[in-house]
Amino acid sequence: MKDELVTLILDTLREMGSSGQFTLDGVTAETPLFGKNGLLDSIGLVSLIVAVEQGIEDRYQKAVSLADEKAFSQKKSPFRSIDSLADYAIELINAG
Amino acid sequence: MSAAYIAFLLDRFAACADQDAIVWRGERYSYSWLVETTNRWMRDLDEHNVSHSAVVSLEADFSPHAVALLLALIDRGCILVPLTSSVGAKKEEFRAIAEVEAILEITPDDRVTHRSTGITPNHELIMQLKQSGHPGLVLFSSGSTGKNKAALHDFVPLLEKFKTPRHSMRTLTFLLFDHIGGVNTLLYTLSNAGCVITVSDRSPEEVCSAIEQFKVELLPTSPTFLNLLLLSRAYERYDLSSLRMVTYGTEVMPESTLQRMHSILPNVNLLQTYGLSEVGILRSKSKSSDSLWMKVGGEGFQTRVVDGLLEIKAESAMLGYLNHASPFTEDGWFRTGDAVEVDGEYIRVLGRKSELINVGGEKVYPAEVESVILQMDGVEDAIVTGSPNPITGHMVVVRVRLSTGESLSEFRSRMMAFCKDRLARFKIPQKVVVVDDALHGDRFKKLRGNNV
Repeated sequence: MKDELVTLILDTLREMGSSGQFTLDGVTAETPLFGKNGLLDSIGLVSLIVAVEQGIEDRYQKAVSLADEKAFSQKKSPFRSIDSLADYAIELINAG
Repeated sequence: MSAAYIAFLLDRFAACADQDAIVWRGERYSYSWLVETTNRWMRDLDEHNVSHSAVVSLEADFSPHAVALLLALIDRGCILVPLTSSVGAKKEEFRAIAEVEAILEITPDDRVTHRSTGITPNHELIMQLKQSGHPGLVLFSSGSTGKNKAALHDFVPLLEKFKTPRHSMRTLTFLLFDHIGGVNTLLYTLSNAGCVITVSDRSPEEVCSAIEQFKVELLPTSPTFLNLLLLSRAYERYDLSSLRMVTYGTEVMPESTLQRMHSILPNVNLLQTYGLSEVGILRSKSKSSDSLWMKVGGEGFQTRVVDGLLEIKAESAMLGYLNHASPFTEDGWFRTGDAVEVDGEYIRVLGRKSELINVGGEKVYPAEVESVILQMDGVEDAIVTGSPNPITGHMVVVRVRLSTGESLSEFRSRMMAFCKDRLARFKIPQKVVVVDDALHGDRFKKLRGNNV
């Protein structure tokens, strides 16, 4: 499941990157997504999260909300890397 | 006894008795028919015990008897509540809000049925209007973003502008019978001895067929319909050479739709109209057929822009809402809620302030984004709205109907590439939803409600 989510996030980033916003060269699951030295600005993050949510709903028939108060009150931001976002998504999918 | 509110109309009708007044279901009804029938209804309303100044709902679409009855009811000083089937299940609620005393319903075969409701009006504004003896008009806002507001008008100032003779035109009544634009089209056409051409449905095929068959010169319509017309290519199958003018209003026109219409019908004047249930229809003049800039105003109207929002002071303004607090400033200006840009004498409507999307402090008007996305191949319709988002406050959401069969991610990817050089980045929809259903209602106006 973790691999599936990492792939989903990477595919979504590739889709967004293809319009020239950024390049995926050298991007790994540990690359910072948002925040200091992050790949994305806030608008990019919104687009990524919405698309990943839609991808999750499509694949797992689960409506999850990746960016809500809960996400922001986590000790460590789920948005710091692809890896942490994938973990957070799995947590939400399994919780519902 | 007639108070002669429509005497000026009957005089004009009499002067062109043999001309067509109305085309309905392919049949022509002359002005002499209309005069006779209106006079007959004036007498018959006595027999039906419809009292002078009664609140009467006229539940109809444009038909010969609906038009004659409307005129007879105005002349009688009645307070008219036109309702069409597009209001659907809300009819009962609307009758209650307007305190309708009598219902006149026109059946599909143009017969009239009559019944009383047993309601005795007591709304302050209705009672004041009744006492003045003037005829009235109640119009419901379409409520595409919230509650339907009932605007009560004194009909006398609304009729005033039709006393000035203008061009006579063969006009297709596209806007509905219970809409300010529909009422305006009807009275404009009749007061200038034009011909009212009715259609039984408002599809591009039916409308183009009626234009060809009855040599329609003026088509007052909405941007949503023009977009459907472009998609259907119905204009290729009919002779539209009689058409001289297309007017569009009721919602913001996407720039791209206007440019395409202009390239397809280069000899037709494309003019923007501006009006509201609350103040009536202003006179307007577009800078050109391919421009969204226009001058608005005319006799009886003053306009001003306060904090980027258009305000109007109108002699034909409504008396007030029947179900809502007064929207007027103390000195009588109506706040339209429409955000506009100003360039000298010209204005350009950006959109409703209530539809403005604030993305992390940046402003996005839906129309600008829709205009770009509508230019993409395979996009049949697009509606942009805002949706709350914890990261940027709000995000831009687009709902699209596609003819391409693309997956969501395929379309999203193509959309991002297409919009990249055409829209600022924060304006490019962060969320895309692909839908199968029509994105407009019976009034050919985009449905922006969040539940759609």
